[in-house]
Amino acid sequence: MDSATASPLFLIDGMKLKPPVKTESPIPGHPLKWQDRALLALSALLLLLLIFRMETAAAQEGQWGLEFQSDGASQHSLAINTQMQVNITGLVARISVDQVFRNNGRGWSEAIYRFPLPDGAAVDRMTVQVGSRVLVGEIQEKEDARRRYQQAKSSGKVATLLEQQRANQFETRLANIGPDEKITISISFLSRVDYRDGRFSLRIPMTFTPRWDMSAPAIENGFYNETSPAPDSVSATARNDHYLSLNIDLRTGLKLASLESRYHDVDIHPSLNGYNIYLADPDTRSDRVFELNWTPDFGEVPESTLMTFDDGDAIYALLMLAPPLAEAISRQSREVVFIVDTSGSMEGISLIQAKAALRLGLAYLAEGDRFNLIHFNSDSHPLFQQSMPVYSSYLLEAEAFINGLEANGGTNMAPALDMALNLPPQAGLLRQVIFITDGSVGNEGELLLQIGEDLNGARLFTVSIGSAPNAWFMRKAAEVGRGSHTRIGQIDEVEESMSRLWTRIQTPAIQNICVDWGMDAEYYPEIVPDLYAGEPLWLYARLPFPPVDVTLCGELEGRPWEQSGRILPGAGNENLATLWARSKIEALEDSRIFGENPGYIRETVTDIALDFGLLTPYTSMVAVDRTPSRPSGEALNGEEIPNLLPAGSSASTTTFSQTATGWVAQLILSFITLLVATGMLLLSPASRKEHSGGASSPMATSASSP
Amino acid sequence: MQARQWPLQPRPRDLMKQTRHWFYTAVSLTAAFFSLLYLAGALWIPAKAELAQWLIERNWQEALEGNASTRPWPWADTRAVGVLSVPNLGIRQIILEGNSGRNLAFGPVMNNGGTGDDLVISGHRDTHFRFLKDLGTGDQLTIQTKDGTRYYQVVTTEVVNSRKSELVIEPGTKRISLVTCYPFDAPMAGGPLRYVVTALPAGG
Repeated sequence: MDSATASPLFLIDGMKLKPPVKTESPIPGHPLKWQDRALLALSALLLLLLIFRMETAAAQEGQWGLEFQSDGASQHSLAINTQMQVNITGLVARISVDQVFRNNGRGWSEAIYRFPLPDGAAVDRMTVQVGSRVLVGEIQEKEDARRRYQQAKSSGKVATLLEQQRANQFETRLANIGPDEKITISISFLSRVDYRDGRFSLRIPMTFTPRWDMSAPAIENGFYNETSPAPDSVSATARNDHYLSLNIDLRTGLKLASLESRYHDVDIHPSLNGYNIYLADPDTRSDRVFELNWTPDFGEVPESTLMTFDDGDAIYALLMLAPPLAEAISRQSREVVFIVDTSGSMEGISLIQAKAALRLGLAYLAEGDRFNLIHFNSDSHPLFQQSMPVYSSYLLEAEAFINGLEANGGTNMAPALDMALNLPPQAGLLRQVIFITDGSVGNEGELLLQIGEDLNGARLFTVSIGSAPNAWFMRKAAEVGRGSHTRIGQIDEVEESMSRLWTRIQTPAIQNICVDWGMDAEYYPEIVPDLYAGEPLWLYARLPFPPVDVTLCGELEGRPWEQSGRILPGAGNENLATLWARSKIEALEDSRIFGENPGYIRETVTDIALDFGLLTPYTSMVAVDRTPSRPSGEALNGEEIPNLLPAGSSASTTTFSQTATGWVAQLILSFITLLVATGMLLLSPASRKEHSGGASSPMATSASSP
Repeated sequence: MQARQWPLQPRPRDLMKQTRHWFYTAVSLTAAFFSLLYLAGALWIPAKAELAQWLIERNWQEALEGNASTRPWPWADTRAVGVLSVPNLGIRQIILEGNSGRNLAFGPVMNNGGTGDDLVISGHRDTHFRFLKDLGTGDQLTIQTKDGTRYYQVVTTEVVNSRKSELVIEPGTKRISLVTCYPFDAPMAGGPLRYVVTALPAGG
C-alpha cells in the first residue's frame, strides 16, 4: 500500500480496473476474494428478495378487479352470444341487446340470465326469435306475467320472461329450449346520453351473468348417483364466459373534436351521418363498463333547447337547460367541508383513492376560502372545531390528519353529516360539503331525509370510491343535497374527476330555477336542481299544447337570472314520451324515501308502465309461443331443480372474496431474507477483522485497522 | 505496510473501504430488522385467526343469551352470527358477519348477513377453511344460528374461476355454500380459483 499520496485520478483508475483491486488485500495470507464474492452474491439475492416481496404485495393489491379471462369452462351446454347495437341520435341512445342461446345438451332446458343496464334505462321492447317465428313481448303486471310464463313453461311452449329485479338489474328466464335449438332474445331500451363540460358520454355495463345451466347432464359429471341425488346445478356458482360484440351508430350531426372509448379497444369508421364504432376484439372481457366519450368541435356556448313530440293526445318535451360557461362567472369564496369514510370497508385501494382525492381537494383551495375535514367510522372526528382559513399551518395539520387515516370500524354516516352541516356558520360563505365514501350503507332512506332537513342552504357533493359503490344512493344524496355526484372508479381517475368536480363547484351555480312553459305542465324532476357551470340539466315535460316560448328564471349570486329556450319544433320522436314516463316513475319511486304510501306508488307506477309499455319493478315483459314445442312426454330438465323463487322475493348474486392470507409464503420469504442478512453480516469486512461481532461500531474498526 | 503519519486522517482508499463496510453492515442490519418484522407479521396471521376465535366465542355466547348488539371487541366492525361444525373432522368455528378482508382474518364470514335460507360462508384456505379439502360428498355439517341448528349434507365440491363466475343467492333455496381459495397449498395469495362446497339440508 503505497498510495498515501494517491492522486484522485489514480483512485478513479483503481476503481475502474480490476488488477489494482486485486492487489489491494490488506492482510497477506487472508484471502478475501471468495468472501467478497459471497457478499456480493448475497446482496444481489437480498435485492431480488426485496423485488419479489414487492411484486407479491402488488399482486395482492390487484385482486379485487375482475381482470382477465382464463380457460373457458367446458361442461357448459347452454351457449350464449351477446350482440349489442347502439344507435345514438342527439341526446338519446337506443340500445338493443341480442342474446343468442343455444342448447347444446340433449334435454329440454330452462335458462335464467341476469344482467345490469345503465342507471335510468327505460326498457320498452323485447322480441324472441325461435326458428323462423318471432314472438313479441308485452308488458304485464308482474304477477300476471309470472303466471303466464309458468303456464307456458309447464305446457311445453317456448316462453320468455323479463323482469326488473332492482334499480338496474334485470333477469331473463327462458323456458323449453329444445336440444340443439337456437333462440334469440332481443331487449331494447332507451338511455340518455350524459353531457358535461362540453363532453358527451355513454356508459353501458357489460356484465351478463348466466345464472345456471339446467340442461347440464348431471350424470356425465359423475356427481349424480343414488347416494347423492342432486344434479351439479344445485351449486350456487354461475359462470359467465361468452362472446360479446358491440356496434355503435353515432349520429350527432356535429363535427367531432374527439371520440374515444375509455376501457375497450375500438375500431372507428366514418359513416354518412357520423361514425360507426365496433369493439376491436369481439371476444373481449365483458366484465367492465363500456364508456364512449365524444366532444363536438365547436367551443360556443350551448343554448337551452326544447325538443317536442306530439303523440296526438299530448306534447312531450325535452328541455335542456344550458348553464353559462365557467369563465363567464366570477369565482366565489366558500367554506369546504370534506367528509371521508374510514370504515373497515374502505380498507386498501379505496382509502388510497380517498386520500388522493382529499389531497387534491386541499390543493384546489384558494385564498378567502375556509375548510375543514371530518373522518368517520363508528364515530366522527373533525380536524377543527370550526372551519379554518387556508393558511399553510392549517394545511400542514390537514396533511398530517390525512396521512394518519386508517380504515377501521363501522359505517356511521349520520353523525358525520350532522356534524358537517351544523358546524358554526361562516358569514358570507357558501358551505359545500364534499362527501367521500364507498357508499355501503343500509339506512339510505333515513340518511336522505336527514340531508334534506339539515341542508340549510349548504350543498352536498358526493364522491363515490371504488368499483361497486351504491350508485343510486350517491346520486340521490347529491340530488337531495342540491349538489352533484362524482365517481372515481380507479386510482388514475382521481385527478381528472376531482378537477372536474372543482371547476363545477368553485363557480356559483344558478339556484332556485323556475320554468315558465306558458301553460300547465307536468315536468320532472319537479324540484329543478342547481345549474352548475359545464353541467346542463334535462327536464322532461308533458304539455297540453305545443309551446310557443319557454322562459327560465333563477338566481345567480343573489341577482335574478333569465334565459329563454330555443324551440326546435319536431326535433323529438316517440322516445320522448317513453323517457317522460320513465322520469315520472323515477320521481314516484323517490317519493317513497319521503314517506309516500308504497301502495299508492305501486298502483300509479303500474298504470304508467302499462300505458307506456315500460319494464318496472311491478311490471314484466312476457312472450309466449302459441304452439307447444316440447313433446308432452319429455321432461323439462329445469323442473328437477329447486329453482323457483317465491313470489315477491328476489335473488341476488355475490362475488367471491379473497380467501387466502398467504402467510406461509410470507413466513418462508422472511426466513430466507433473515438468513441472507445474517450471512451478509457475518461475511462483512467489519466482522472479519474483529472476531467479536464487530457490527457494533464499524466506523471505529475500519478507521483504526491498518 | 507502514503506519501512517496521520492516523486521524484516513487515506482515500481506506475511506472507500470504510464506506463499503458501513454500507454492507447497514444493509444487512436493516434487512435483518425488516425480515424479523415481516416474520412476526406472518406468524401473527394464524395466531390472530386462533386468538380471535376465543374472543368471538364470548361474543357468541352473549348473542345466544339474546344480547345481539354486543361486539367481540369495542372497535370491531363485525359480530358473531353462528357456529359452523363438522363433527367428523372435529371442527367448530364461529362465523362472523360482513364479508370483508378484515373480518376474514378473524374467522369465516357470512356473505349475506345470515338471513334467509341460502347461505354463503367464506374463509381463508390457509387458516380457518383449511379443513374444506378434507370435506367430501356425503359429509355432515351443522350451522347453529340464533334461530336454531340446521343439519346439512355435502352434495358437491367444485373449483370455479372467480373472475368468470358469481355466486347466486336465492332466498327460497335451503342451501349452504362454503367458499375458499384454491389450490389449498399454493404459497401465494391472490389467485382467481375458488373451491366451493355445496351442502343441502340433510334428512329432510
